[in-house]
Amino acid sequence: MMKSNVLALAVGLAGLLSSAALVQAAEYKVAFLAASSQNGYNQAIYEGVKKAAAARGVEVEIFNGEFDATKQYSQVEDIVAGGKFQGIVIAPNDSIGIATAIEEATKAGLKVATTLFPIGPKLDVLEPQVPGLVTTVASNPAIGAKAQADAVIDFCKDKNPCKVVIIIGQKIYPFDNLRYDTYLKALGEQKNIEIVATVEGNYDPDKSMTGMQDVLQAHKDINVVLSNADQHLVGAEIAINDAGLDLKSLYLIGGGANQIAIDAIKAGRWDATLAQLPMSEGEYALNGVVDALEGKPTPAFTDEMSLGTVPPIITKSVLDAHPEYKPEWQG
Amino acid sequence: MTDISTPARQTSARSVPISRQAVIWLQRYGILIIIALLMVGLSFLSDSFLTPRNLLNILNQSAPLAIIACALTLVIVGGGFDLSAGAVFGVASVSAAWVAVNVDPMLGILIGPLVGLALGIVNGLIITGFNVHSFLATLASSMVFRGIAILITGGALIPVRMEEFAWLGRGKIGIVNIAVIVFVLFAAAIMFLLNRTTFGRRVFAVGGNEEAAILSGVRTNWVKIATFGLTGFAAGLAGVIAVSRISMGQPQAGAGMELDAIAAVILGGTSIYGGKGAVWRSIAGVLLLALIGNGFNILNVNPFFKDLTTGLIIVVAVALSAGRKRR
Repeated sequence: MMKSNVLALAVGLAGLLSSAALVQAAEYKVAFLAASSQNGYNQAIYEGVKKAAAARGVEVEIFNGEFDATKQYSQVEDIVAGGKFQGIVIAPNDSIGIATAIEEATKAGLKVATTLFPIGPKLDVLEPQVPGLVTTVASNPAIGAKAQADAVIDFCKDKNPCKVVIIIGQKIYPFDNLRYDTYLKALGEQKNIEIVATVEGNYDPDKSMTGMQDVLQAHKDINVVLSNADQHLVGAEIAINDAGLDLKSLYLIGGGANQIAIDAIKAGRWDATLAQLPMSEGEYALNGVVDALEGKPTPAFTDEMSLGTVPPIITKSVLDAHPEYKPEWQG
Repeated sequence: MTDISTPARQTSARSVPISRQAVIWLQRYGILIIIALLMVGLSFLSDSFLTPRNLLNILNQSAPLAIIACALTLVIVGGGFDLSAGAVFGVASVSAAWVAVNVDPMLGILIGPLVGLALGIVNGLIITGFNVHSFLATLASSMVFRGIAILITGGALIPVRMEEFAWLGRGKIGIVNIAVIVFVLFAAAIMFLLNRTTFGRRVFAVGGNEEAAILSGVRTNWVKIATFGLTGFAAGLAGVIAVSRISMGQPQAGAGMELDAIAAVILGGTSIYGGKGAVWRSIAGVLLLALIGNGFNILNVNPFFKDLTTGLIIVVAVALSAGRKRR
């Protein structure tokens, strides 16, 4: 009887100690504010956040921004008011409008890191523009867009005219506008390049296909499809095939480097995609927040384009040279 | 092309002056006049517009939305509202993609409309069972359905690069897409149902005056469940066509499509208050929206002006229709 009591006490104590250890391990709670939790790219960021959180013994919770800037603003306010979280990793819906809410969060002592886009009025500045923001893990959209445009210029160098169709996400998004303006500026300097049409793809293969079908009614002799998103090329490819054009003779370049794009490039259907690393973004951002909470130094920003193991523009030759390369998201 | 409606009184044509008759005619067929003007304008502005290929292209692009709009006409004529058609489209398309990849491509094609039908019946049962306004019920159910789509896919895309699956969205018979043929057959069936059957008359009766319909012995709840079930079926069919066309199931598919479908139905001249409307009008509404989009892409007009133009055309068309109702 005595023995069993001692045993029970020992088991109880062990349980208490292990619970205490768990509490110790999950000392910090970090909120991940997804632009939309239903979006593949955001989910990949969250995977990176969770991976780093597990390694650092931190709890994370995801919030669905539903691609709604106002909703996300309210979520930041709620987190500040709730006092449950010590840190925030955010993929902003409105990188400019959210700045005041983030500033309030940092004033309240929360450590905040942004992914995907910088927060503040300047989309092409990675240095934190909001006082107290711990770190930015993103890339300058203009640099990526310039790299894509340069790849198009290289393809077009022996063609005159070289007819280009641009499929952009949505021109109401500031970051898409920045990319589009970068395309126009870089391609506009080339006398042999003619931009015959611009389509809004809205990150939707179906809408991109419709737009591309319409463009091909008026321009059957295009040479290039340049897009900021791989999702657009999925639709464009179908429209090109349906129109009876020789896909292999055209140059198709997208952005995002998801599994679908990498498979298409390996198969020789597409030519290139701009590398993006959502999982790495999530990992670096979470580590930045936890470092700041633990009083360790944190880099003011991490350029996403410096994180990759391959060049920013991924082509078949790049993939052949890096057979170990794996995309960080499905699509 | 007749409007089946329940006018309060038929005005003798001989008692109305010619000028007034012309105005009434213009108002009644305003949507067709606007389409004709747009087609003439686009033909002058682009050599690429008035070609068989482009016109078939417009029909093919519009087929999924037109299928939804046809069935949605029944719901709106019946005095209801369906804000879940886009979400049903999404669930059906990812269900079809998942089944095609994991079970069988043909079964994937069949499962989409059946999933849509089931979800539509669920809508109808919620509306009639709990006596909830269809606007609120379908707003809530759309969130549930969208959640189901996310759960099926885990938020990721489902690529379906299979010939056995792509025929519905991309196949052709001669120069006509199979999707267009499916749309024409579906539209004809819905027109017949609304204009030539007892069920159709009951739909008008429920939308025109539900209490009177109940007193006349019409089982209004069954009529409502049927209209929502049909709209679900249509959204499912449209979803399968779309996913087959792009060989890709995506949880966000169909987002906002319910508003496009409602806009097309109302734009065509079907009364938002129920009791009046016609399927051909909804098809005309869809074609008008499609023409605007096609014109913008062919002419390479700045997309910033697209919404502005679409909105202005809708205002003109609705104003014409409202003028008709005031008389």
